[in-house]
Amino acid sequence: MASGFSIRRQPGFAAIACLCFAMLYLPILTLVLFSFNAGQSVAVWEGLSWRWYESAWANQTVQDVSVRSLQVASVSAILATIAATMAALATTRNKPFRGEAAIYAVMNTPLIVPEIVTAIALLIFFASIKVSTGYTGMGYLFAAHTAFCIPFAYLPIRARLEGMDLTLETAAADLYATPWNAFRRVTLPLLWPGIIAGLMLAFVISLDDVVITELVKSGGQDTLPTYMLGQLRRVVTPEINAISTVFLLLSVVIVTLFFFLSRKKS
Amino acid sequence: MKWTIAGMAFGSAMLAMAGSAAADGELNIYNWGNYTSPDLIKKFEETFKVKVTVTDYDSNDAALAKVRAGGHGFDIVVPSANYMPIWISEGLLLESRPDQMENFKNVDERWVNVDWDPGRHYSVPWQWGSTGVLVDTSIYKGDINTSAIAFDPPAELVGKINVTPEMNDVMSMVIWYVGGEYCSDDKEMLKKARDKLVEAKPKWISMDYGVIEKFASHDFGAALYWNGAALRSRLANKDVRYGYPKEGYPLFMDSVAILKDAKNVENAKLFQNFIMDPQNAAMISAFANYANGIKGSEPFLPKEMIGAPEVEIPADAVARGHFLKPCPPAVQELYTKIWTDLLK
Repeated sequence: MASGFSIRRQPGFAAIACLCFAMLYLPILTLVLFSFNAGQSVAVWEGLSWRWYESAWANQTVQDVSVRSLQVASVSAILATIAATMAALATTRNKPFRGEAAIYAVMNTPLIVPEIVTAIALLIFFASIKVSTGYTGMGYLFAAHTAFCIPFAYLPIRARLEGMDLTLETAAADLYATPWNAFRRVTLPLLWPGIIAGLMLAFVISLDDVVITELVKSGGQDTLPTYMLGQLRRVVTPEINAISTVFLLLSVVIVTLFFFLSRKKS
Repeated sequence: MKWTIAGMAFGSAMLAMAGSAAADGELNIYNWGNYTSPDLIKKFEETFKVKVTVTDYDSNDAALAKVRAGGHGFDIVVPSANYMPIWISEGLLLESRPDQMENFKNVDERWVNVDWDPGRHYSVPWQWGSTGVLVDTSIYKGDINTSAIAFDPPAELVGKINVTPEMNDVMSMVIWYVGGEYCSDDKEMLKKARDKLVEAKPKWISMDYGVIEKFASHDFGAALYWNGAALRSRLANKDVRYGYPKEGYPLFMDSVAILKDAKNVENAKLFQNFIMDPQNAAMISAFANYANGIKGSEPFLPKEMIGAPEVEIPADAVARGHFLKPCPPAVQELYTKIWTDLLK
């Protein structure tokens, strides 16, 4: 094995790897750099300043859309995680049953179906509900985001459950624990890191969403990503860079936490 | 602890749902992103004690799709001239008769009997502008009032040209450049137009939105782009000039209309009347840098806009500007094919 084929020793590996990293990170670095620009420009450097962070912070619209984004992400991540946890328990803590694979596939369709297809389907479907009920509140965004966040919450929870031995619950039952007590005292504490990881992943996925939100939103329901999209066609100031940088930072923090929580303890 | 936070988030969500029920004193505007002056909205809110909500869209098609589906909850929409006939013929707009409103007398005669809304029974002008040629005159000293800048670029500008990724603008300009009629399906003419584009494209640097920064950093030497951006480019780089191609150039106008299923019709009508006031119209222009079509708004404009050659079309160039009509679907398909070919 030691002297076998290794991709890392192929000619050009380092060069290709560096190129890939550069392609991935240079644009983001430029974006972050220019968020500190003192001038109006996103291309000409005029010195270091916090002014765009200050102006973004003071911008009422940016505040509104950010709060809305966080609200949508919190609500849908929580709902999606509850559903995903129940689904994961049902599909791993039992003997395999008929149709389990089908259920697994159905739950994960949001990962496969192109987002724009889901978005258009939801636009048409929700529009008819909006017309017949007259309700145009945030419920539609919550429902849509919850639906596509479920598989993202489900996968880490399921992975965690698969690493947990079924005999733990059996042992608890042997010691006269009721099913509910076995769940509360044994399964849940062990599963907790998986649930939090799923929650955070769902949160980030909801926070990033553009296409579905754009087509589902009603009046006054712009989220941070759809607001930013609307800005792009006209004058772009480093304020957008500043917002993006904060957004990026938030995502990185959450994904890092996710990584540490979902890492298998050796 | 964790559950308290979850509970709070959920509780606040429920409040948001309850709070969004329609009430009196609201107005829901659905407009292009980054296009609505916050000062104008604030003034309207304070004058009429109405809570205004602005929601963004980023294309005519997206707006149309959402409104067609129904249940959108918007009162006002701001379609472009070439889309207006679709909105009207599909019965999506309310005939609010702006022409009978108090401030209608301020509308420039030029914008009253427009093709897309004759006599202004549905819509009032929001902003208008043109697509023309931006040139950094420190790089190229020749005539800039021609589309040849983009389609047969002079040697100095090769590799420094940006062309707007807007199909209708570019197609119309190249068709006029080869001497054709927009919306014509003359195969020979279209072949010439296509060849021209394919031949010119390697001499361009990009087909992107956002030119002001690139003129400031001297990355661009020329561009086919909108006049509002041309004004801002000149403020960022004093050598940038805006040319009105002698072969013809497209005009655009976005107009404010009320949706047929609007819930706040009276407030929407107030808004239509409100923006025909010169002082208020000037606020629209001050924010986005395009002309507004309301007489008497000039004195209220920011000083860099007053008499700016990008905003005020020179008398000799006026006749060469055309609004683009929607072409018949078969023709549109041909143009789309050429366009996709070009983008490949």
